Amino acid sequence: MVQDVLLNSLFAALQAVTMFALSPLIIGIIRKVKAWFQSRKGSSIWQPYYDLAKLLRKDSTMSKDASWISRATPYIAIASVGVVALMVPFFTTYSLGFVGDLIVVVYLLALFRFFMVLAGMDAGSTFGGMGSSREMMVSSIVEPTMLLAIFTMALITGTTTLSSISYSLAVTGPDLVRPALFLALAAFFISLLAENARVPVDNPATHLELTMIHEGMLLEYSGKQLALMEWASWTKFLLFSAILANVFFPWGIATDLSALGMAVGVIAIIAKVLVIALAVALIESGTSKMRLFRLPNLLTESFTLALLAVMSFYIL
Amino acid sequence: MNRMILSELVEDLPPVLRTGIRWELQDDGSLTIDVGEEALPGIVDHIQKKYHSWLISEHALDLRPKGGEFQLIVLLGLPKVTVPVIIRANVDIYASSFHSLTPSVPAANWFEREISDTFGLTPNGHPDQRPLVLYDDWPYGTYPLRKDFDPSRPVPRVPSEYPFRKVEGEGVFEIPVGPVHAGVIEPGHFRFSVAGEPIINLEIRMGYTHRGVEKLSESLPYHRGVPLAERISGDNGFTHALAYCQAVESLAGCAVPDRALFIRTILSEMERLYCHMGDVGGIALDTAFGTGAQMAYILRERLMQLNDQVTGSRFLRSASCLGGVRCDIPVDSKKDIQRTLLQVKLDFDDFVTTIKNMPSFLDRVETTGVLTLENARSLNVVGPVGRGSGIDRDVRRDHPYAAYDQISFQVPVYREGDVWARTRVKIDEVYESIGIIEQALDKLPSGELCVPLGEAPEGRTGLSLTETHRGECMHWLMAGKGQPYRHKVRDASFLNWPAIELAVLGNIVPDFPLVNKSFNLSYAGNDL
Repeated sequence: MVQDVLLNSLFAALQAVTMFALSPLIIGIIRKVKAWFQSRKGSSIWQPYYDLAKLLRKDSTMSKDASWISRATPYIAIASVGVVALMVPFFTTYSLGFVGDLIVVVYLLALFRFFMVLAGMDAGSTFGGMGSSREMMVSSIVEPTMLLAIFTMALITGTTTLSSISYSLAVTGPDLVRPALFLALAAFFISLLAENARVPVDNPATHLELTMIHEGMLLEYSGKQLALMEWASWTKFLLFSAILANVFFPWGIATDLSALGMAVGVIAIIAKVLVIALAVALIESGTSKMRLFRLPNLLTESFTLALLAVMSFYIL
Repeated sequence: MNRMILSELVEDLPPVLRTGIRWELQDDGSLTIDVGEEALPGIVDHIQKKYHSWLISEHALDLRPKGGEFQLIVLLGLPKVTVPVIIRANVDIYASSFHSLTPSVPAANWFEREISDTFGLTPNGHPDQRPLVLYDDWPYGTYPLRKDFDPSRPVPRVPSEYPFRKVEGEGVFEIPVGPVHAGVIEPGHFRFSVAGEPIINLEIRMGYTHRGVEKLSESLPYHRGVPLAERISGDNGFTHALAYCQAVESLAGCAVPDRALFIRTILSEMERLYCHMGDVGGIALDTAFGTGAQMAYILRERLMQLNDQVTGSRFLRSASCLGGVRCDIPVDSKKDIQRTLLQVKLDFDDFVTTIKNMPSFLDRVETTGVLTLENARSLNVVGPVGRGSGIDRDVRRDHPYAAYDQISFQVPVYREGDVWARTRVKIDEVYESIGIIEQALDKLPSGELCVPLGEAPEGRTGLSLTETHRGECMHWLMAGKGQPYRHKVRDASFLNWPAIELAVLGNIVPDFPLVNKSFNLSYAGNDL
């Protein structure tokens, strides 16, 4: 038993470190693919690492109106993302699943958002406030969607722990595949775009403060604190990709300790995350951002999909 | 035609307005009316109501060194007449105030505030007496365009705050944006009042790039005014310089050779092409459709490289000179232009097809930022913005200059007044511009490029209008000793900026950048 805990902790730590290490690369790849679509060379896929290194060397400037919230938020952000990274299966199903289930995961991410929204308003800048209010509007629909979508998988597999969901799906194989899986997958993918401030919900590449959601809240951050916030956000994107990959299509993930299994697991997750990153880049290259007040339509659609997924599980 | 309508106009004036006016038909057919300052609003209002005239400019000049008074000049454009009606009125030195046109002609709003700032003449009855072009800390009682103002001495600064309009109510917030923005954009301050996301009031504060262009021009000999005019507004330097050259040429009565006229036409359209490419690309970019934006930006770059090949400057700088042009279009340049334009046209087709078939893009631009025809008319909105709201006017067709009278082209007009209508006007104009250049290249006559300017008699006035990619641009000159006595510049932006305040009402804040982009106005051209 103690051995199990140690083993799980070891792999959880390893996976979390890998995710933090890889997340800037995934963002770099998305940017590169977008640049290709725009007939540009684009910056190197390692650019996010250089940016992090640069920002980490710099001092932070704080608004004189900012309270402890602004100072604490970067650490809360990186810490909550870090804890979630320990509980999400990446290349193996060995993770800290026994500590908390998917509800803890969703609400740790909500904690991150809650503080980011507060920090957006804390420094007293107008754009931060606008970003915060828009973020709350978006998340009020996205959060239940996300929960429902993962709940569908929990219903199918009979457990609410992310790593156990992966494990049972991966071990049982296609027998567990239901129509509900695909409905939930679609709903979760839209949530992934919305939660990570991608087009068509938000534009990560814009300089127009008046249109910003996520970036608006970060406008007042600089230096080390900005580095932490950016890194947390990038890792959050990778976390969502990992949940999408391992909860809905876990096949290939390592379920035992064999070297071969581990190798296949690593290759499988990298391939899946790359596919997701490519899909995101494709969508960003091929669509315009939606009008802010049309977003609820898209998000309610995704909520409806998630609801249908749960219902179809009982009906079919 | 001109003479008939204009003399009829004077004959038709009701007796009350006709007393005490003097009028004269000039050689070029334009009509000059001298009126008493108090009669000005009445006459302008009458002409506006009866002939649907529009206000081209209202500006002042200081004739005190010549033993005169201040003078107000109102220029009106009339449908079907190629020359403007010029109305002059003297303003008493001691009263230093005049009857405002703004209550009956809303387009006069900014003109009169500018006069009040730069000449210290108060527009009586003007609903908004706040400063417009000068910085907030400019000292009271210092009027830079008066002749007794010495521009070489620094002006003391007096800190003060600009009184913005206040909108109050539960849940109403103010959003100050600028003057320094996040992107590489010129400075301008936008003060939004919002209830949640919808905008209930917008106030635009300009003047941050005021460089004293008009004052500077009064101290430069005519030939040095050309590079100055090129720098009034970065991206339409050629058309501004052309307007200045034409105004000086009309002072001196200089006949520009045919070949130069055609080359001026070609270069004007090459400028419009690269600017419009940037504009439509920018609209795609502001909807976060980067792929489409880059398609247009690539074409813009190709056109700028063509500019560089033909004139030696990507922005067509130094291509114009008084009495003609400075760069020729030899046979091989002609072939370069034809080849590039053919390719650009094909690639632009791709871009247009892409955005026209993209629901997510159309959803952003349709019904966004509607400028109604009524509002556009009352503010005399010009250029693609006006044409997108249904105002069928284009200087190139209505007051032909350079060689436009020898070329056939269409003026696209759309009625909806939204971002998409303005975008379509620009898209259509790209095709028209390519057509104009092709025709002009085919008809390009041989001959001289430039002739000597000749003497500009002191006291004579010259007016020139050109169509920049933003719309009607005006340069008005009064000749002094070898340099302008007064040089009035009016960029299209000066007329169009106030229209944004109306177009965004009821839109949501995140749509503002898109509306602003579809207007794409110049800050420097507005502030001078």
